[in-house]
Amino acid sequence: MIVKVVGLSGSPHRHGNTETLLDAFLDGTRGAGATVEKVILKELDYSACRGCNACHKDGNCIVKDEAIPLFDKILAVDCLAVASPIYSMGITAELKGLIDRAQYIWARKFILKTLYFSNEHIRAHKGIFISTAGQDWTNVFDAAFPAITAFFNTIGFEYYDNVIANQMDRWKGVKNHPTALAEAREKGEKVVRDIERILEEKEEKGE
Amino acid sequence: MPIKVLAIAGSPRRHGNSETLLDWVLDEVRKEKDVVVEKISLDEADVHPCKGCNACEILNECVQRDGMDVLGPKVTSCHVMVVSAPIFCMGINAQTKAMIDRFQVFRSRKYVLKLPVVDPELKGKRLGVFLSTAGQDWGHVFDGAVPTVKCMFHVVDIPDRDIHYLMVNNVDEKGAILSHPTAKRDAENMARDVIAAIRARLEQ
Repeated sequence: MIVKVVGLSGSPHRHGNTETLLDAFLDGTRGAGATVEKVILKELDYSACRGCNACHKDGNCIVKDEAIPLFDKILAVDCLAVASPIYSMGITAELKGLIDRAQYIWARKFILKTLYFSNEHIRAHKGIFISTAGQDWTNVFDAAFPAITAFFNTIGFEYYDNVIANQMDRWKGVKNHPTALAEAREKGEKVVRDIERILEEKEEKGE
Repeated sequence: MPIKVLAIAGSPRRHGNSETLLDWVLDEVRKEKDVVVEKISLDEADVHPCKGCNACEILNECVQRDGMDVLGPKVTSCHVMVVSAPIFCMGINAQTKAMIDRFQVFRSRKYVLKLPVVDPELKGKRLGVFLSTAGQDWGHVFDGAVPTVKCMFHVVDIPDRDIHYLMVNNVDEKGAILSHPTAKRDAENMARDVIAAIRARLEQ
């Protein structure tokens, strides 16, 4: 059974610290045998949520753009890595723009009740938050966690772990960080093995 | 000199709950003498997200030419900056986050280039107001937004002690705030308090 992984890069600039850390994580998952796709959010054409609440009526978003096929893809994988640098103590506008668009999935779950994720489903779907920050404050990621937690909860993924590294300014980039890249690769391998074990258990039970 | 109040409505939904809260504040502010109010809807302001290029650390300006060229000077020249934004998915909505991230140019000016961000005569004579609404009834629903809002005000010389907050939860569908028991009165009281506070500062 092959574990499917998608990594979302929410940074506006290519191959920076956050995307490099995401790449290390994805390398780890690939090394453990997963199929991997990386999506660069800034190259997609989608707009932010309009807040119109039309999805509360029928569970569909009225904005038809590339966010919708991306959510279809996300809902079909076993592992989702969401990567964003910290700007102004939060995730980037690109990633927040996508996360806000998941409102139609939230509406299906909580308003229309046409979508339900069992505990078994959630256990077999792992979400990882990947982030870097220039600041050396240890609390620099704290304000990002609530939105990430809410997003994973909406789409039926267990918030499995973080791969986060601050002090990018001090280390002059993630490549010089003493532990971050190795930790990212290890966590990538580990999550794939954990998901494999869960999928094998399900198979043995004949599910 | 009149008190300049800049109001930014950050919601993509026009005249919804957070903008109504803002309008209540502004209606009360307009009753005061010697106050000029300018209100801008971010939905119409053409402000794009930050590219994260860090060029502003050298150029002292942003490489992007868009609505921020108009909005930026208004932000640095007002006495009271009011921002209203809804909470989407446990954080500030993406459009408002995009504007806040564009304040990076002010951060670069202040902390990297060590240049003044606001006119010298405005130093210590600026107040910030953050107005927010959220559909969830959880008390902690604003916790993810507040640190970002503080960043926004800090880089334009409005420190923590000069930020006023009015955040109303449990209002989701458009118009829900109209039946909130205290929001309108709270907004009006806050408006009077803020104008009194800025008058006291300006008289110092």
